[in-house]
Amino acid sequence: MHALRLQFGLLCLIGVSVQACSWSRFDDVTADAPIVLLEKPGSMKSGFGNSMATATSPDTTVVLVGGGAGEQSGAALYDIGNETSPSTTSVDSGYCAGGTADCFLSSSLAGFANAPGPDMERPLCFAVGTGSVMKAGLELRCRDASEYTLAIPTAALNLLNFGLGENQAYDFPTATDRTDHPALLVTVASEPDVHAAWFYPPSSIHFSELSAPGTALFNDPSFGKSLAVLVKGTERVFAIGVSGKSEVLLWKSDGASSSYIGCLGGTPGFGRALAAGKVNTDDSDDLVVSDDTNVHVIDGEALHALPETISTECSFASLPAGALLGSFGCGSTSSMTGCATSKFGAAVAVGDLDGDGDGEVIVGAPDMTVRGESSAGAVLVFDADKPSDALFVDAKFLSSAKSGDGLGGSLATPHIDGRDIIAAGGNGKAALFYCSPLLAHGAGGPRCP
Amino acid sequence: MFAPVSSGFLSRRGVLLFLLLALVAILSTSAIAQTPAVDNPGKRLEAIRAQMEKGQGLYVAGNYSGAAEIFEAGYTTYPYSAFLFNAGVCYQKQNDVDRALAKFKEYLKADPNAPDADKVNARVATLEAAKAAALAAAPSTQTTDGGLSADGGVAPPPKPAVILPSGDDQNAMKSLVVIETEPDGAPLRIYQRLDANASPFKIGVTNPGWKEVVATHAPANLTLDVGHYHVVVEKFRDFNASEADMAVSPGHVHQLKANLSQGQFMAFLRVSANVIGAHIWIDDKKKEHPEWGETPHGELVPGGKHLALVEAPGFEPLLSSVELQHGEQKELEVRMVRVGYGVLRIDSSAPAVTVSIDEKPKGVWRSGEEPLDARSDSGPHKVTITSDGRKTFEGMIVVPRGQILPLHVKMIPKYPRGPAWTQAVIGAAFLGGAIFAGVESNQLHDQLQADRDSGALEGSDSRATEGRWFAIGADAGFAVAGILGGLATYNFIKDPLPESSVKPGKLLEFDDPLKARPVARLERRARPALDVAAREQAPTLSFTPSASSTGGGLFLGGRF
Repeated sequence: MHALRLQFGLLCLIGVSVQACSWSRFDDVTADAPIVLLEKPGSMKSGFGNSMATATSPDTTVVLVGGGAGEQSGAALYDIGNETSPSTTSVDSGYCAGGTADCFLSSSLAGFANAPGPDMERPLCFAVGTGSVMKAGLELRCRDASEYTLAIPTAALNLLNFGLGENQAYDFPTATDRTDHPALLVTVASEPDVHAAWFYPPSSIHFSELSAPGTALFNDPSFGKSLAVLVKGTERVFAIGVSGKSEVLLWKSDGASSSYIGCLGGTPGFGRALAAGKVNTDDSDDLVVSDDTNVHVIDGEALHALPETISTECSFASLPAGALLGSFGCGSTSSMTGCATSKFGAAVAVGDLDGDGDGEVIVGAPDMTVRGESSAGAVLVFDADKPSDALFVDAKFLSSAKSGDGLGGSLATPHIDGRDIIAAGGNGKAALFYCSPLLAHGAGGPRCP
Repeated sequence: MFAPVSSGFLSRRGVLLFLLLALVAILSTSAIAQTPAVDNPGKRLEAIRAQMEKGQGLYVAGNYSGAAEIFEAGYTTYPYSAFLFNAGVCYQKQNDVDRALAKFKEYLKADPNAPDADKVNARVATLEAAKAAALAAAPSTQTTDGGLSADGGVAPPPKPAVILPSGDDQNAMKSLVVIETEPDGAPLRIYQRLDANASPFKIGVTNPGWKEVVATHAPANLTLDVGHYHVVVEKFRDFNASEADMAVSPGHVHQLKANLSQGQFMAFLRVSANVIGAHIWIDDKKKEHPEWGETPHGELVPGGKHLALVEAPGFEPLLSSVELQHGEQKELEVRMVRVGYGVLRIDSSAPAVTVSIDEKPKGVWRSGEEPLDARSDSGPHKVTITSDGRKTFEGMIVVPRGQILPLHVKMIPKYPRGPAWTQAVIGAAFLGGAIFAGVESNQLHDQLQADRDSGALEGSDSRATEGRWFAIGADAGFAVAGILGGLATYNFIKDPLPESSVKPGKLLEFDDPLKARPVARLERRARPALDVAAREQAPTLSFTPSASSTGGGLFLGGRF
């Protein structure tokens, strides 16, 4: 009897030993993990992850992670490749990082597959803010480390020069579409005295100012903090949010000129964040707009169909029926709680996570409580390609979520390997989420089950 | 009575008186001890009988010199002429004519009226003739070899080679016959049967084939040849005559006693057994009277039927009946059987031991006490002896039948297991820690795996590092626990000390309550040196009172 017990005890001991012995199993489980954290370069002062942008070339995909806006903390570039083996360390942390030229980092960065320059077109460039490289203007930096500035309207230039002289940062948010030669939309945000918005047509270094029927439309401190560029063929629709007035202003352009086509408004905080991308299956980008509690998806076809107008009314009345593809709010899961205070919609993006041609709506909720960690933040994914069919697909958060991470404060959707992945930033963190339940088994590579 | 003094000690006068009395007691004891046991007539006769029979036994066995020594010694102690004659026969058997002649002549001198004096004189004459013949033949032998010794001097004449008659057989030995009457002084006559076919002897008529060989008065100690005799006690005072037949064996002591008031000769009963010293009670089954004697023991008893109870410690009591005719001499030989149990007499080198036989407790022995007697049925038994801090002895011991088996148990101290326990406890702690770390590692791994399955796992999750350290800690813990466990096991098994053992002593007979207890039993056993050393190392504290004519005090002493 004693011998039997002894043998049993020894077997248990050996079993536990063998199981515990394989510390290499942790290497196995973390190898090719579904989420990759990008390392913050030591040169970045603060705000790492506050903003994100991506650009894709036939050779590679890069992600730019910005720091605190206007504080010259700069941005860092990561070459995540086009496969599933990203470089988690920055390949260039000199984006708007001061150095030889003054630069004020924008709160919203814009990526170019190919950017026009004063002398030539350059691939994989980013509009990162305003500063002075040879001359003051909108500053772009490319993958090849070349830097240059684009001319900006006089009012904005005066403001910039003033800021450069006084070392006073002004935010110039930017946005591009996702074509190979995108148009660039720029606003002057948070400066009530200077209300300006302009765009650079594709492959052009010359700006074209956006005008509205009345300057009252621009007259709000929240003007220009959110912006998006929608594409349909060669035509662009520029959307600028004025969340303080719950409005989104719209212009249409096909070339160097533009026309004001209306203003959408309604629910409180409408226009808090904007994103463009193909949500449904047609050829035009759709507009994703968040308000204080919900996210709305508006059919791009309907927006492109809007005629020029002089009306200053802001509503959905001008939109045809069915233009609102979907509206959806926050949802809780067993791992995520605190929807009401989660800042659901603080950032939005559109990405084709499964590579099927239509995109999914990606919504950041930086104050979401994750696994009991308050404000750890999360990213929620909705499939909203059909009206009233916004289907919650997935929730992304960090397995190492910590209180205050604020994941989801910024979003981007880098394109790799025929599909988009999610890049999400937070307070000092930036992560790449490679997997989606929408992916077919094996389609996500070794990182995705 | 000793006068007490105030201090509780004896006064000087008292001490002197005590010493004087003790000396007297010792001398008295010594004197009593030196008194020969043969002062008792019965025991004296028994001693003579033993001496005679011993010599006869040696003679029959052909050890003539040994027999001669016994007979000589017998005569020295008990001057009966039969010893002399028998010694002479032994010398004659050895062709030692001088000594033989000397003993025969001494016999005739000691007992000039011996009934066989004529025969002995004839034997003496024969021997002297043989001696003379040998001497006559001696000169021719001297002439032949020149009579010179090796150193040139004149050598003494060699002893003549005497060829003695060698017709003596075991019946040549004479016996001692003791005839007593109650009261003493009665005239008696002894007739020897010369013809084996002679009719039984009758008083007052002519008895052909019978010859009167002795006419004397009781008590009489006679030396007689082997043969059949008829003893007649003639009318004495107011008593009638008595008679009895008597068969005399070679080299024996025969005793006859006539109770004239009853007109009968008493019978002689001798009880012997395979146990020397067994107690005999005659016609006293309840042992209400003192014992009759101890085996072997013979004594005159009235004729008739008797019941003999023979007892000896360690043997089953034996009851035998015997019937004797008047004047008959009979030997009752009994064979005693040992009882079916025995005793283990146990002491030990340990301060105290607990004894169990066949798992049944038998008692506790402590140092300084007499050995523990544990009784048990005879045969093999499982004996278990335990002592605090010492190895348990367990073994099969064969308990003797009706005897005491002394067992000295050497209890070996247990090998200290402190290091083993320390290693085991530390090993267990490591094992517990390792299991905890292993479980934590497993849980973390499961969490990470679940997160990976749900797509929430980041490659740099700190739990992976934590889990790795837990796994490494678990492995290290298991390794250390294994090593310590092995060491502990080895140290638990390791035991360079021998096992406890028993040393059996010589088998002893049961104590006889009717006899003084052997002095040896009261002696304290010397303690083994190891225990003494251990005791010397043990810390002690003692208070010693002291008193004298001038004062007193209390001494405090100790060893640490």
